[in-house]
Amino acid sequence: MAVTLQDSSASAVIEARRAHNEKLSRKADQTRATWFPLTLLALLAALPLLQFVGNYNYVLHLVLFTASYVAMASGWNILGGFAGYVSLGHAVFFGVGGYFSGMLLARYGISTLITAPLAGLVAAAIGYAVGLVTLKVRGPSFIISSIALLMIARILFDNWHFIGGANGLTLPPNDLSVQWAKLPYYYAMLAIAAFTVWSAYKIKHSKFGLGLRALSKDEIKAESAGIDTRFYKVAAFALSAFFVGMVGAVWGEYLTYLRPNIFLLILVSANMVLMCILGGKGTIAGPVIGAILIVALNELFVATMGASEINILGTGLVMAIGLIFFPLGLVGTLARSGRLPRILNWD
Amino acid sequence: MAEILQILILGLALGGVIALMGSGLSLVFGVMRIVNLAHPALIIGGAYITYLAFKTFDIDPIAMLPVAAVAMAAVGVVLYRLLFQREAKSAKYSEMTVLLTFALAMMVEGLLGGLFTNTQRVTSPDYATAAFFIGDVFIPKGQLYAGLVSLAIIAALSLFLKYSRLGYAIRATTQNREAAELLGVNVQFISVLAFAIGIGLAGAAGSLVSFVFSFFPAKHWEWIAMLMSVVVLGGMGSILGTVVGALILSVVAAFVGTWIGATWSTLTFFLALFIILLVRPQGLFGEKPEMA
Repeated sequence: MAVTLQDSSASAVIEARRAHNEKLSRKADQTRATWFPLTLLALLAALPLLQFVGNYNYVLHLVLFTASYVAMASGWNILGGFAGYVSLGHAVFFGVGGYFSGMLLARYGISTLITAPLAGLVAAAIGYAVGLVTLKVRGPSFIISSIALLMIARILFDNWHFIGGANGLTLPPNDLSVQWAKLPYYYAMLAIAAFTVWSAYKIKHSKFGLGLRALSKDEIKAESAGIDTRFYKVAAFALSAFFVGMVGAVWGEYLTYLRPNIFLLILVSANMVLMCILGGKGTIAGPVIGAILIVALNELFVATMGASEINILGTGLVMAIGLIFFPLGLVGTLARSGRLPRILNWD
Repeated sequence: MAEILQILILGLALGGVIALMGSGLSLVFGVMRIVNLAHPALIIGGAYITYLAFKTFDIDPIAMLPVAAVAMAAVGVVLYRLLFQREAKSAKYSEMTVLLTFALAMMVEGLLGGLFTNTQRVTSPDYATAAFFIGDVFIPKGQLYAGLVSLAIIAALSLFLKYSRLGYAIRATTQNREAAELLGVNVQFISVLAFAIGIGLAGAAGSLVSFVFSFFPAKHWEWIAMLMSVVVLGGMGSILGTVVGALILSVVAAFVGTWIGATWSTLTFFLALFIILLVRPQGLFGEKPEMA
């Protein structure tokens, strides 16, 4: 009798848990609007058709530029948003990716569009090695160590003659006409951005992502709950470096030149951080919205005021205002007050 | 032998200036747990004040030091009220303030860039290019004066912290904020005061830096990692530690610069930062691994 009672209570618990889980998943399904990002992607994929009726290279450039930052910010978000380790040195992986693929293009003529995943892997390997060292400290110490990493990389790249030193390296442009020259990079960057956002979504909802979110809240508790925090956060570092590295590879060929003072800029890192903070750290849609906002703001500043100093001032100002008044970012703040529009709920 | 002595002297003189640059950073972290990434940008602000006075009125940079210090201290009070006061209660305060000061650094850089352009500047009083000779060893006057003035200011600061009532209050707040408040220390006021002193020290350092290094608005990115490694080596919050850290690293950098190459002397600081964070995150004189 007692045995059956125990059995039935155990199965009742399982049943209740199943029902609960189902309710959760269904609730998620109802509020999520998967069609919106897919439609957006389809529209952007069709955008180059405009080239048949006129010259819209500027529009394509803007979308490409935004897509590159969408991918970089979403990649940064894996470490900074999910795991809670704010890095100001991710421009290093942008540079590593750009230089690795760029060198292959310059030496052997292999397009970066083919070698981009390889560049991502190289960036990830470096991210993994660096992470093993710097992820021992957290909070302000980690932020400072990431800045030091960027400084070290800048000195090394500036003085490494094999890759052109401070003068950089010129890459051959492709032979397409002006009308279509941007297209390969446009589609590559769009694909990378879409892949990154999709991966970030998959990571967030995996056991790995759950572990990252746990260790961002309290690392010691996460560790005692059986999460291998050291491996988790180093893997998160490597993954986020992978996506940033891929973007760097394609961006290098798109620009047709590589130079340390284009790739290894603290402003590039700052933009990734800024986009995530503005959009909402740790959310899927946040970095995307942040990237769109920042690129739009940048264009506005440059178009109306021109000088790059004003641009730096503006970036800092937007960052400070965002931090003080909306520390959760646009998506986070709206979600907390329950007013997030369904089309922006990608989590 | 003469060469080693020469390098040692150059390293020590420069180390004094770097110690002053880092001491404000250390003080502000000690009292308020703010890692002020904007500190070097504010040093450059002080340097531009001195530069303007030198160019337009021909005022000596060292004479300009108190003015730059007071002006930057006033800036510090305003910044504290605007940016950091309301953040004090937030849960991720320390991390938050790092990002906030990062944003501040960008704003200061942009502002200075807009006002003064990105040309390299340096003030050039007579002593900046003169030197004493003792046998084969030469001591550049500019660096010597700057180093001595720096160490004098730091000594005055240490005496102030050690013996004055306000100094007691600042140290009490550094050790334990809540206990200090319980014992009747006005922690709010002490925070503003310490922040103002810290930024004032940045201004003072700016005056000295203006004839020791050439500077431009974006230069502070090079300095932040350098100062951080100095402060982290000495132990965040310890002024004595900052001085020792600055002297050690500056001498090591001088040797690296002479024997291996000038490019790699800056690398010394960055690599040192990595190694210290790994081996001993609390630094030489830090009491507990507060930041780890």
